[in-house]
Amino acid sequence: MLRLARRLRRVGRLTEPAPPRPPAGGPGAGGPREGLPEGLPEGLHGSVQVRHVDAGSCNGCEIEIAAAFGPVYDAEQYGARLVASPRHADLILVTGAVTRNMAEPLRQTHAAAPRPVAVVALGDCARDCGVFAGGYGVEGRVADIVPVDLEVPGCPPRPEAIVAALRSVTGR
Amino acid sequence: MSTVRMLLALLCLAASAAGVAGVAVPARHRSLAAGTLVAVQGGLGAVLGAVALAGATAPDAVAWAWRGPLPHLDLVARVDPLSGLFLLVIGVVSAAAAVYGTAYTRQPDGSPAASGSRTTWTAFAAFVAGMQLVAVAGSAAAFLLGWEVMAVASLVLVLTEHREHRVAVTGAGLWYAGMTQLGFLAVLGAFAVLVAHAGAGDLVALREAAATAEPGVRVLVGALALVGFGSKAGVVPLHVWLPRAHPEAPSHVSAVMSGAMVKLGVYGLLRIGPDIAGTGSRAWGLALLGAGAASALYGILQAVVATDLKRLLAYSTTENVGLVLIGVGAGQVLASGGRHDLAAVAYVAALLHTLNHATFKGLLFLAAGSVLRATGLRDLNRLGGLASRMPWTAALFGIGALAAAALPLGNGFVSEWLLLQVLVHGQGADGVTTALVMPAAVAVLALTAGLAVAAFVKAFGIGFLARARDVGAERAVEAPVAMRAGMGLLAASIAVLAVAPSVVVPGLDRAAALLAGQLAAGEPAAGDALAARPLGAGLELAGIGARLQPLLVLVLLVAVAGGVAAAARRWGRPRRTGALPWGCGGQRLSPRMEYTATSFAEPLQRVFAEVLRPEQDLAVIETPAPYLIEQVRFRQRMGDAVERVAYRPALDRLLALAERARRLAPGSVHTYVGYAFAALLLVLVGVSL
Repeated sequence: MLRLARRLRRVGRLTEPAPPRPPAGGPGAGGPREGLPEGLPEGLHGSVQVRHVDAGSCNGCEIEIAAAFGPVYDAEQYGARLVASPRHADLILVTGAVTRNMAEPLRQTHAAAPRPVAVVALGDCARDCGVFAGGYGVEGRVADIVPVDLEVPGCPPRPEAIVAALRSVTGR
Repeated sequence: MSTVRMLLALLCLAASAAGVAGVAVPARHRSLAAGTLVAVQGGLGAVLGAVALAGATAPDAVAWAWRGPLPHLDLVARVDPLSGLFLLVIGVVSAAAAVYGTAYTRQPDGSPAASGSRTTWTAFAAFVAGMQLVAVAGSAAAFLLGWEVMAVASLVLVLTEHREHRVAVTGAGLWYAGMTQLGFLAVLGAFAVLVAHAGAGDLVALREAAATAEPGVRVLVGALALVGFGSKAGVVPLHVWLPRAHPEAPSHVSAVMSGAMVKLGVYGLLRIGPDIAGTGSRAWGLALLGAGAASALYGILQAVVATDLKRLLAYSTTENVGLVLIGVGAGQVLASGGRHDLAAVAYVAALLHTLNHATFKGLLFLAAGSVLRATGLRDLNRLGGLASRMPWTAALFGIGALAAAALPLGNGFVSEWLLLQVLVHGQGADGVTTALVMPAAVAVLALTAGLAVAAFVKAFGIGFLARARDVGAERAVEAPVAMRAGMGLLAASIAVLAVAPSVVVPGLDRAAALLAGQLAAGEPAAGDALAARPLGAGLELAGIGARLQPLLVLVLLVAVAGGVAAAARRWGRPRRTGALPWGCGGQRLSPRMEYTATSFAEPLQRVFAEVLRPEQDLAVIETPAPYLIEQVRFRQRMGDAVERVAYRPALDRLLALAERARRLAPGSVHTYVGYAFAALLLVLVGVSL
């Protein structure tokens, strides 16, 4: 207990200071639907419950998401929170090119989320299949399966970009 | 007085008619005829009980007497408020069970089932008649006669389905017969000691003589009564017949056994304890309190981990009888300490709980019978999905479960509230023991209440909700009208008792005041000596200043719910969409993924493993290559811990002794003649000495 207290005092605060707030409405680089859907209130009043779906990614984006919710970038301070069930979700975060096996589960996840729900396609694979375009197991982009509201480019996108995308939804 | 005699005469007539109908009516109409007559018999008993509770009987007045051929063998009938309450209990439960039985004992094509045979219907009529005789008995001979008729008739009823379920039913019958007869011996012994001391068989004479009894006689009578009546009531450790016999009996019989017969054990304790032996004994009260607390805790623990629906209900009976005994014991302790007003409230709580338990346990057993008839299953792990297939049965079981869990708007809540009030405010009575025992009793009551909620949530949720776990449950259909009518009768009485307990409380006050020694036996009850006053539909406890108004709660609940529904309809945006249940995106949900009764109770089983001691058997079968496992077999059996720890070793030793005693009978005629010669020699020697 004492050792922990001493370490806390020695290491101090790890989280980086918050960069300036991005505009609400998203920095999306040309998603099929500009901005966010009608029913979604602007900024979601400061909190958004995020359900992550790996539709067939190489796990690079997942490691960056883990980093974004870690102590250095700490997305939770801006109101974003990872939840286990799509029934609790306001936002579905999809990574990876959609494989044949994951197409139906992705549709069911989107159907299970209560409306209004937003979908964020994270990474180049989610946007346009990235390096896996044309593979025999790949069904298509995320936008071919479910309607996408926001895109985050990068392979993988940096944690700061992920945090900025979430902040554009929460408005904090 | 003449009303009582007339009702008694009608009751005898109805009982005889029911017995004759059971034998004489042809098979096609037997269930209807016999069932209706037994229902009339029960109804008349309930009316007589209500008349007695309303105070319309002159105290200690003999309603009917018959001089027996030998001294002390007179049969006397006497109806006072205490016997009136138990007549009401017996009458309501038997009437509902008989109405239910008119359809339950018939197969769908109209022919009688195993429980619709001549033997069973006659035994059922005799069973109800025996119980009613015990309740109105005014002499020791009448009491014992009624007791034995009740015991033998119920044994015949337990063995009804011996053809279909050979082993379980015969085992249950053996245990039940053994324990009932041993209990009868103890009761006989207690009455014999009392009658020998008093010199007469009449209960009034016993009461007068018991005041002058020495402590040794009192202790002996008390111990015998505790063993005899305790085993009938299902007090731990004499309860082992309950979870075996109640599940195997036909469901309408189980309802009457659990609802009415075990209560007569409590009635016997009340008659011999507070009534005859007087309120002097604090040790007796503490013994009852301890036995009640142990039964309550052990019973509800076993109910929580039980996976057989009827076994769960049987153990819940043990728990509720434990609560009643806590009330009786607290009443004894308080009365011997001089707090007669609180003692009266304690007795009212105990008596109200016997009435409440009879109604909700009867309803639960009848509903379980309905499920058994529709699905052929008693195992909760294989039921489920019945709420959509059997909506009436599910709703009625839900009402019973709500009452049994002692949640507000159930009638169990009213009696447990009363009991809790007494225990909490009872610390003022004399002695360090009372100051230690009352808070401990409160703690036991709280733990039991919590576990009861868990047990009944499990029974209702796993048994009726979600989806069917087995083919039998998928094929369930709703019960016929007569069965629903029987259950509805009990549900209506639950509703009345839950919302307007002031209907019965004045009568219970009369019975309790006599027990608590507030007035000498034989005086009519005075108006302001009542301890639990009716306040509108609810109750008010006069010395403590506590109030309970369930009707108000119900009205508020209905008003709020109605208001919210109206507002939602007026201002809401109703939009219905169909959706699949979330199944992690993969295949559809199957019933295999639902909670089972075992898994629901597993955390509690782990916590209380030292008390419950399940038998677990784990076998790991490996292929010839080590560490490559071919099969893992796990089996768990939750038996009765008291039976395994206390009864089995004694029974095994008895059997070993019997085996060795077989050497005394080798089969040779010469040996037997030798025995006869030796016995003759002994007698001659003994006589000449």
